[in-house]
Amino acid sequence: MWDEKFEMLLRGYLTFLSPTEPLESDAQLRDLGLDSMGMVELLGNLEDTYQVRFLDDALTMETFQSPSVLWKAVGSLLPSAAG
Amino acid sequence: MENQTAIVFPGMGPSAFADVGRFMLVNPFARNLVAVADDVLGYSLVDAFREAEGDYSEAAQVAFLVNCLASAHWAREHLGIEPDVCVGPSFGEKAAIAFAEALPVHEAVRMTAELARCMDDYFSREHTDIVTHSFVRTPEDKLAEILAELDEQGEWHDISCYIDDGFYMLSLSETRVAWLESRLRAIGGLSLYTMRPPMHSAAFAGLRDEVEREVLSTLRFADPKLPVVADQDGTLLRTSAGIHTMLLDSFVRPLRWPDVVAALERFGVERVCVAGPDSLFGRVGATTRKFAVIPANPRIAMTPRRRSKAA
Repeated sequence: MWDEKFEMLLRGYLTFLSPTEPLESDAQLRDLGLDSMGMVELLGNLEDTYQVRFLDDALTMETFQSPSVLWKAVGSLLPSAAG
Repeated sequence: MENQTAIVFPGMGPSAFADVGRFMLVNPFARNLVAVADDVLGYSLVDAFREAEGDYSEAAQVAFLVNCLASAHWAREHLGIEPDVCVGPSFGEKAAIAFAEALPVHEAVRMTAELARCMDDYFSREHTDIVTHSFVRTPEDKLAEILAELDEQGEWHDISCYIDDGFYMLSLSETRVAWLESRLRAIGGLSLYTMRPPMHSAAFAGLRDEVEREVLSTLRFADPKLPVVADQDGTLLRTSAGIHTMLLDSFVRPLRWPDVVAALERFGVERVCVAGPDSLFGRVGATTRKFAVIPANPRIAMTPRRRSKAA
């Protein structure tokens, strides 16, 4: 499961998700209001927050499919993932 | 000059009927414009748009024009927006021209429909493999390396839009898009969208000539009542000739949004109202770093507004 920072950050871009609704792990982020420019901003924010750099296969629209897929991508870039 | 307001008519992106259909049927400004369009087109714009396939059908283009203009009128009445200058990047030129009254609305509708047909016809027989691909997070020097590789491969390419630092739209063969996406990812770039028809390249001089002959020669432009900023280089246009040139240049010269932003700053603009469905021009850093952005679009216009209490 993702951490609190991730959920707070992501929710900021989900204009169709009310603050009281739970964020389901397999929710389709586009359906919740994440558009292309939102993805670009979110990407930059995730990189700043977790001090990671998205490259190669992590940089596709599929990465932004759902919270669980996105969190997995972030997790794979964290230093601990290499250990 | 300072404290000026600009109205920005966005370039066209995919705009689903489900997102704007109710606005077109209910909003009084939109209804009036739809009635004008129905009359000019000889068919129901709303019905045609609902049934149209693809993001850039003739009906979708006229509907986008109508929704942008209606959003601007709504902003005037409900948000008190009184613009001092206007601009329309790419497709938005058409709405800017109508809003500035360089063409009457019914002629702007006719022009939009005829340009859509002209482009459809042209790209059905010319440059049939060319698309325009947009991407972000690509520094200029890294992009230059990728373009040099395309040159080495003997592949034609042309930058069609300069949107912001690291944000471009590149026209190239559809067969090279997968390669381009992979190269962009390797340097941290993110691909956003691939458009067909392509746009804004010197390679399309034939289209410009057809448009001039078949569409623009049938229209009479007036001097705009509001200055219009040319989206190719930020020139401030005040004459019908300038408007005519901007429309033609749009087919063969790239859109340069940072130049537009610089021109608006020189004009003293401090806030911009983005009128119409927009997911780009009111959102990019080039715009938001410089101006207060006030969106006015069908979704906002259809959101119930709280009445202000009497004092």
